[in-house]
Amino acid sequence: MTTSTFIAGKGVLYRTDARAKLLALILLCVLVFLPVSTGGIWILFGMAWVLAYHATGFRQAMQPVKSILFMLIIMTLFTPFTYREGTVVLQLGSHLMLTREALENLSILMARFLSITYLCTLYVWTTPMADINLALRWYGLSYRAALVLTLAFRFIPFIADSFAMIQDSHALRTSAIHAGKKTWKRKIADVVPTVTAALVFALKSIPYLAMSLEHRGLGRLQKRTSFRHLPARGGFLFTQMVVSVMIPTVLWVLFT
Amino acid sequence: MRAMLELHHVGFTYRSYGDTQPHEPVLREISCVVPRGKRVLILGLPDSGKSTLTRIIGNLIPRFVEGELSGSITIDGVPLHAGKPWDLTDTCTLVAQNPQEQLLMTTCGDEVAFPLESLGIPREVMVKRIQQTLARWKLTDMMDVNPQELSGGERKRLLLATADAVDAPLWVMDEPFDDLDPAWRSVLLHRIFSGDRTVVVCASRYMDEFRGVFDSCYFLHDGILHHGSEEEIVLAFDQAAQAHVPVVESTQESDQSSKLSAEDLVIVHPRRSVSSAVPFSLSVPRFSLTTGEVVALVGPNGSGKSTFSRVLCGLDPYVSGSIGIDGNHGSREQLRTSVGYLFQNPDFGIFLPTIAEELIWSLQHNPAVPVHQHRAIIEETARLFRLRLEDNPATMSYGARKYLQAAVYYILDRPFYIIDELDSGVTYAAAFEIVSLLRQRGAAVVLITHDHTFAKNIAQRQYTIDEGKLYEQEVGL
Repeated sequence: MTTSTFIAGKGVLYRTDARAKLLALILLCVLVFLPVSTGGIWILFGMAWVLAYHATGFRQAMQPVKSILFMLIIMTLFTPFTYREGTVVLQLGSHLMLTREALENLSILMARFLSITYLCTLYVWTTPMADINLALRWYGLSYRAALVLTLAFRFIPFIADSFAMIQDSHALRTSAIHAGKKTWKRKIADVVPTVTAALVFALKSIPYLAMSLEHRGLGRLQKRTSFRHLPARGGFLFTQMVVSVMIPTVLWVLFT
Repeated sequence: MRAMLELHHVGFTYRSYGDTQPHEPVLREISCVVPRGKRVLILGLPDSGKSTLTRIIGNLIPRFVEGELSGSITIDGVPLHAGKPWDLTDTCTLVAQNPQEQLLMTTCGDEVAFPLESLGIPREVMVKRIQQTLARWKLTDMMDVNPQELSGGERKRLLLATADAVDAPLWVMDEPFDDLDPAWRSVLLHRIFSGDRTVVVCASRYMDEFRGVFDSCYFLHDGILHHGSEEEIVLAFDQAAQAHVPVVESTQESDQSSKLSAEDLVIVHPRRSVSSAVPFSLSVPRFSLTTGEVVALVGPNGSGKSTFSRVLCGLDPYVSGSIGIDGNHGSREQLRTSVGYLFQNPDFGIFLPTIAEELIWSLQHNPAVPVHQHRAIIEETARLFRLRLEDNPATMSYGARKYLQAAVYYILDRPFYIIDELDSGVTYAAAFEIVSLLRQRGAAVVLITHDHTFAKNIAQRQYTIDEGKLYEQEVGL
């Protein structure tokens, strides 16, 4: 979700109706926060990763981990400090460094974070944005609210692409002396102007986005028609909906 | 004949938050009447207010950009201030200079559909119209492709397809011919002159294709819209463009020549939003570039000119073949520090709040230049490129930002430069000047362009990319 939107591919997730997938996604996200075993959540993450790998290949399947790596590192560094009581695992002199409870909580937090990231990412990777929009509206979300979500997903990769282009531009401005031996300090120093430029670029695009929306008729009183429509598959959709409820339910029973 | 568009004494002055000093007006006296079914050309130098004028006609300024608007505007007899931008969706279509500003959706089909959905057009009619327009602009295969994956020219075509699908009686177009190759320019001209629509085209260059085709011509200069015959307007425009650009000192002979070459290169670039589309691939049997020369790189929209350039300057990998500098293998890092690539969109290379900071950033990353020389170097560069060090790039025009982008690379002093569509958004004279400045120290320049006249006047050699292959061809063909 944090890296890109729809990626063309084949597999069961691509064939599943957007509405059924959305239902399964919500229920699985709820499951992650229910009192289930930590191992169960890790298994759920494993299943999501395998599906991502099957749908997009290894490189792409690792992208979400890369995107949230910084947050995972922060979690790993700071979670132990919030659990100071329990069975000591690591102690340096009189300083308590790590307890079993801290490790367990870190494991749950990471499993939840990774699972939710992969579940949402899988949904976005395997469902065209127009179908997501229609699925949300099928569940009763207003057109404007669905459009806001669609635009957010349209702009995340746009900003990511802009960031990459700005990074490229900066790479081309490096001197031959600096090329090839960038220290961490230098890298971090260089990230600041790149992020600033991407943010400025994104902020500058907001009025243009608003102009384009209104120029293209957003705000007109007449009822909008729709170019795309989700196939009305009747019984097939019902079956998929039932399966979407059954999978999280079975996992909940197994992991409790 | 009833007027489609009427502008009477229109003036506009931008206002920024916290400004104490009033800005100079961008538009001072704009008056013109465009009868229904007429085609009008407005020529103007970059930064002359053409984009502002188009957005004012679209009722988007001052709604989204603060400023003082004076005078009156009517479209099809209705005063503009009486409505909102969405009221104009089926009356007036704007085509922006930079397609990125107007693209909204995640597939090309949805992009074209958006305004039609707003107009409440029944689905059956809409589907047919979308298919027709995508076919007309040769985008049928791109129906499910994300617009972000298209080339600059393809994005422009998508924007034009969207305008075409709505088919409003008034089209207001800001540099619509930029980014398009000659074949698509003639398609656009044909669309402009088919039917009984009223069209206003704003341009920074007088192209060969314009000769004798417009019903009236105007010249926007110093905020005033001047009317005249085509000859008078083109003469006035050329004089202003030449006066705008000083003569560049002659090119220095390089102390030592350097050669960039590529052999048997194969580049593959898949699209990720559709699995059915064949991945883009380009083969480069032989390419060479020697310091001091100017080489044009031409080819249809989406042929891979930018993709090849990105590989040549070490930003993207290639599948097989080799790239060398002076006969030695050029690693991607070596290429990045030898080949300067000026992106089509200058904003990707500009990120600091003032021109001075922007120029000095590159120097700070080059320990070979002593710190005490920094100020003198940036002052000299600013003088050459006619930039004011204290100016904020965010408030400069597209053309002025292209100058800044070139100035940044001038400071880097690379032996090779690739300039992507320099001629879009700037005058010919300005484009010549930028190339001349970059060549002053003997660098070689690859110029990506769709304008064969421009290529013929500036390049000594030409490479063409067509149907997945790069080959050398006579200049201007």
